[in-house]
Amino acid sequence: MKTFLSFVLMLGLFVSTGTAQLSDFAVKKSFEDRFKVIAGMMDSANALPQLDSAKLAIDQLQSDFVRHEAFLDKALYPSTFSERMASLRSLHVLTYDRIYLIQTQGIKLSEMESRLASLTSRLDSLTTQRDQLFGELQESKKSLNALREAVRRLSSNLTAKDKLIFALVDSIFQPYGSNLQQVADVHKEAISQKLEKANVVTRIYEIASDNVKFLEVTQLQGKDYASVIDQYQTFTNRWAGLREKIAAVGAVSQPLPAQAGKKQMGQKGAKTISQAEKPAGASETEHVDSVLTEWRTKLNGTFWASLAREFSNAGVSVAPFNDAPSFSASIRSYVASARSNNVDPAPFVETVWKEKIDKEWRDALSKESMLGKVEYAALDKQVSELAREGIDVKLILYIAAVIAIVILVWILLSRRKKRDTPEAQST
Amino acid sequence: MNRLPTSLFIVGILLLTASCSSVQLDRVNFGWPVESVVTVNNANVFEDVRYAVSAGVGKLALEEFQDSTALRGAQLRLLRNTEGYYFLTGPRFKSVYVFEPGESSLSLSTAIAVSETGLRNPALNQRPPYVELIDGDNVRILLTSSDKAEVKR
Repeated sequence: MKTFLSFVLMLGLFVSTGTAQLSDFAVKKSFEDRFKVIAGMMDSANALPQLDSAKLAIDQLQSDFVRHEAFLDKALYPSTFSERMASLRSLHVLTYDRIYLIQTQGIKLSEMESRLASLTSRLDSLTTQRDQLFGELQESKKSLNALREAVRRLSSNLTAKDKLIFALVDSIFQPYGSNLQQVADVHKEAISQKLEKANVVTRIYEIASDNVKFLEVTQLQGKDYASVIDQYQTFTNRWAGLREKIAAVGAVSQPLPAQAGKKQMGQKGAKTISQAEKPAGASETEHVDSVLTEWRTKLNGTFWASLAREFSNAGVSVAPFNDAPSFSASIRSYVASARSNNVDPAPFVETVWKEKIDKEWRDALSKESMLGKVEYAALDKQVSELAREGIDVKLILYIAAVIAIVILVWILLSRRKKRDTPEAQST
Repeated sequence: MNRLPTSLFIVGILLLTASCSSVQLDRVNFGWPVESVVTVNNANVFEDVRYAVSAGVGKLALEEFQDSTALRGAQLRLLRNTEGYYFLTGPRFKSVYVFEPGESSLSLSTAIAVSETGLRNPALNQRPPYVELIDGDNVRILLTSSDKAEVKR
C-alpha cells in the first residue's frame, strides 16, 4: 500500500513536471523513478490484486513516455526504452507466477500440515505399542507360539513405523516439488523448521535403533529374514534420499548441544538423540548413518549365525561361514569333499538343503545384498548333482543285484536241464 | 646543381607534413543526449561518471560569485553540444558558461548572460544545433556556443 501511494505521488510529480517546460534530464529521471517504484511494487507484492495495479502502472508508464522513446533510447544507454519496458513486463509475469505458486502452495501446505499432525500422532501411538510389544516378547519366551506371535506383531509395528515416518517426510517435501535447488531460501527454511518440529531425523534414528534392538532380542527363523532384509534395504534407500534433501535445505546438519542422560524408550513421542548415544561432534544425520551401519552389521551377524545353526542342528559339519563368500566356499567345499570321499549325501541334501535351506532360506539368500539369485542357483545345482550321484550308485548296485540274480537263476535252470536229459534218454 | 636535390627533399618533407596535418574526420557529433547533473564536492571538484569528466570549479565560482568556495555542494548542469563545447550553469548563475576542451583543461569560450537576478532551477536540453536553457515555466533560451540565438518567454 505504501509503495502504491509512493507510486501515485511519483505520478503526480511527473504530471506536474509535464505541465512545465520539459527538461530532458527531468524526463529521464521521472522515467527511472517511476520504473523503480513499479519494480518495487512488484517485488513487495504478495497478492494477485497488487499485481493488477502494477500492470496498470506499467501500461501508464509506457503510454506517458512513448513520445520520448527516441530520446530515452539515447539517455538510457546501454539500455533502451523498449528494453526497460520489456524487463518490467517480464518481471510482472515472473512475479505473477511466484505469487500464484505461493498461494497454491499455501493451500497444499495447510492440507499437509493437518496430515503431518495426524501422522505424528499415529507414530507416537505406534511407539507406545512398540514398548508394550517388547515387554510381551520378554514374557512370552516360554511359549514358542506366543513368541512367534509377539515377533510377528512387533515386526508389523516396526514396518508400520517405517512407512509412517517416510510418509511424514513426503508430506513435508511434497508441496515444494522434486527439485529443491529451485526452492526459495524462505521455503527451505520452512522445510527445515518442519523437519525439526516433527523431529524427523530423531524419529528415523529411533526406528533404526528399534530394528537393531529387535534383532538383538529375537531369534528369527529362515523364512522371516527375507522381509527383514527388504525392510532394511527400503529404509536405507529412503534415508539416502532424505539425507540428500536435508542437505539441500541445509537442515539438521549442526552438531547437537551436549545433553546428559539416556533416551527413555517408553516415553511418548520422539526424543532428541542423546549425547550418550551419539559420537561427540556428530550431526544427527551422521548418527542415523551410524545406527544404520549397526543395523546392517547386526542383520548380517544374526542371519549367517542362524543359517549355520541349521547345519549344526542336523549334524552336518560344514566349514564355518559368516558372509556370502564364505558360505559359498563352505558349501562348495562340502560338496567336493562328499563327492571324493563317497560320503552318504542324504543328511546334507535331504535334511538340510531341501528341507531347510531351499524351503525357508531361499528367498533371503537370493537377495542381491546376501548371496544373490545366480550364486544361489549355482549352489543349488551343485547340491542337486551330488544328490543325483548318490542315486546313481544305488541304481548301479540295484542293477548289479538284478544281474546276479538273473545269472544265478540261469545257472540253476541249466543244471536242472542237465539232470533231466539222461533220464529222458534212458526211458 | 647541388642544391636541387636538397630543395626537392625539403619540398617533399613539407608536402608530406602538410598532407598529414590536413587529415581530419568530419561530421563529428560530440553531443550528449541528456545533460548531467553533477554535484561539487568539498575539494571543489565535480565528477560526471557516465561521460568520465571531472573538473575543478574554484575559478568558475570566483568568476560568478567572487568566492572560490561558493559552489561547494552545489548541483551544476553540464551538457556538451554537438560541436564539442561544454555548457555549464546552475542555480543562482547569471550566465551560462561555454567551455572549449583543451589539454587537461576547459577554457572559457564565452559566458552568455541569461539572467539579471540569477537562475532558479535551470536545465539544459540538447536541441541541435542549439542548446536549450529552461528555467521554470517562463524562461526558454536557445543558445549557440557564442551567444543567445532565441529567447522565448
